[in-house]
Amino acid sequence: MRHHAHHFASAEAEFEASKQGMWVFLVTEVLMFGGLLVGYGIFRNLYPEAFHEAHKHLAVSLGAINTVFLISSSVTMALAVTYTQMGKRVAASCSLIGTLTLAFSFLCVKYVEYSHKFHDGLLPAGYFTNTELKLPEAPLFFSLYFMTTGLHMLHVLIGMGLLIWILRRTWSGELSSGYCTPTELVGFYWHFVDLVWIFLFPLLYLVG
Amino acid sequence: MASHSSGPHLSVRSVLSLGGLLLVLTLVTVLVSFVDLGKLNFFVAALVAICKATIVLYFFMNLRHDSRDNAVIFLTSLVFLTIFFVLTSVDVFFRGDVKVKGAFFQAVASVTKKPWIKTPELVAHGKEQYAIQCAMCHGAVGAGNGPAAAALVPPPRDFTKPDGWKNGRKATMVFKTLKDGLAGSAMASYATLPEDDRWALAHYIISLGSEPPADTAEDFAVIGIDPNKEGSTVIKEPKITIRQAMALLQTSSSGGRLYTGSAEGQYGQLCASCHGDKGQGGIKVGQYGLYAVTKPFDRAMTEDAIIASIRGTAHRVTTLSQEELTALARFVQNAAKR
Repeated sequence: MRHHAHHFASAEAEFEASKQGMWVFLVTEVLMFGGLLVGYGIFRNLYPEAFHEAHKHLAVSLGAINTVFLISSSVTMALAVTYTQMGKRVAASCSLIGTLTLAFSFLCVKYVEYSHKFHDGLLPAGYFTNTELKLPEAPLFFSLYFMTTGLHMLHVLIGMGLLIWILRRTWSGELSSGYCTPTELVGFYWHFVDLVWIFLFPLLYLVG
Repeated sequence: MASHSSGPHLSVRSVLSLGGLLLVLTLVTVLVSFVDLGKLNFFVAALVAICKATIVLYFFMNLRHDSRDNAVIFLTSLVFLTIFFVLTSVDVFFRGDVKVKGAFFQAVASVTKKPWIKTPELVAHGKEQYAIQCAMCHGAVGAGNGPAAAALVPPPRDFTKPDGWKNGRKATMVFKTLKDGLAGSAMASYATLPEDDRWALAHYIISLGSEPPADTAEDFAVIGIDPNKEGSTVIKEPKITIRQAMALLQTSSSGGRLYTGSAEGQYGQLCASCHGDKGQGGIKVGQYGLYAVTKPFDRAMTEDAIIASIRGTAHRVTTLSQEELTALARFVQNAAKR
């Protein structure tokens, strides 16, 4: 059992405080993505035809594959937490490596998607050069597409950094059944990244 | 409150089965999106997303065993998000006619001082007036079949057809009809309407059918208006409604044609609102909340470079002929040198 900082009554109180801090952080995350989502909602209602036409240029199959990758990575993340709590060092590390692999696969698919968009000139606002989509509001859809998925991708990258950090500490045995607050909290962050994608995928790819 | 050191809060088996459930829900939402259910598509997608989010929050993020404080903290963010969305929607969709002014719209406002020149904002205004003044008899889309039409002999004019117009099918002549009415029919004089409203109506009514021949000097003589003088008495402030401003921004960015004629006139219509009446620049322009400030014209630019720029991505003016483009480019070049 790891000893706790002196201003906490117990290790458990320390964990609860860290977790509450994480929830408060996630609230700020909801509001950050929320700004973009509200913008999306308003403009979609203002220009339904343009948004509908523009969303047809997103590849549903690639988006769906990425959804599967992210959900699976949430599963391996939850497994990593479970195995760490059970004190299974190797299984926990393997789950974290699985999570990292799935996150990397997500980024690869994103790379393919983004390069198609760049090639077709389906870019935000003034950079939009596609000639097939003629509705004047179509560039707005791609502004929102790149801002929401870009911000989300930034979160995936940060999450991967955190996962590597957790992986090192798990492998060295530092994080185990006695103390695994960082694993649990990075898990929270990772599930939140999944949560955001759960909403972005249908909003952008499916209903348009 | 669960003690975190008392073993895992989710067994391996439950993690795997929850993951399976999430993947099944993903499959459902993708498959449903290929079936056209109209508005229902959105609600199905939203419902599935909320189910998935609840599973992630409740089990993976362990809200089911967490303290109630944390659940309240997280749900508060969703409450605020809802308030944000509702208030913004109320503002955007029920804002009403807020007037805007500024250098960008100066050109439009001054054109409106000659309301016989058709502009998108006059047509838009005419459409609003039409619904109030004319639709009862002439029908919502001008086919002469409004609710009151059956009682009228002769029947109201079908604006979508080009023939049979007693005074002729031109903006000036519709203006005349609105001023004098038509003897022997139910069409009364609408001279009590402000002059601008009548011009707006005339432009809108003409726009319901094909493009008519242009108004001649004689036409203007008939209605007693000198088209070279400013005529409006109503629009004094160079202000236009947000809706008109948006329409204008769209027309000018998609290269819609507002004016035909001399290079100077074209400059005034297409360029001056952003580049300044003398090409001096320094005007804030933009769309979708993205703004830039125009620069003074570059003296060193060649005619070809100017033409390329006019046709380029920043302007996308595609409706001008090669001759018009050349004339406009020369005009811009001269403006830069002055």
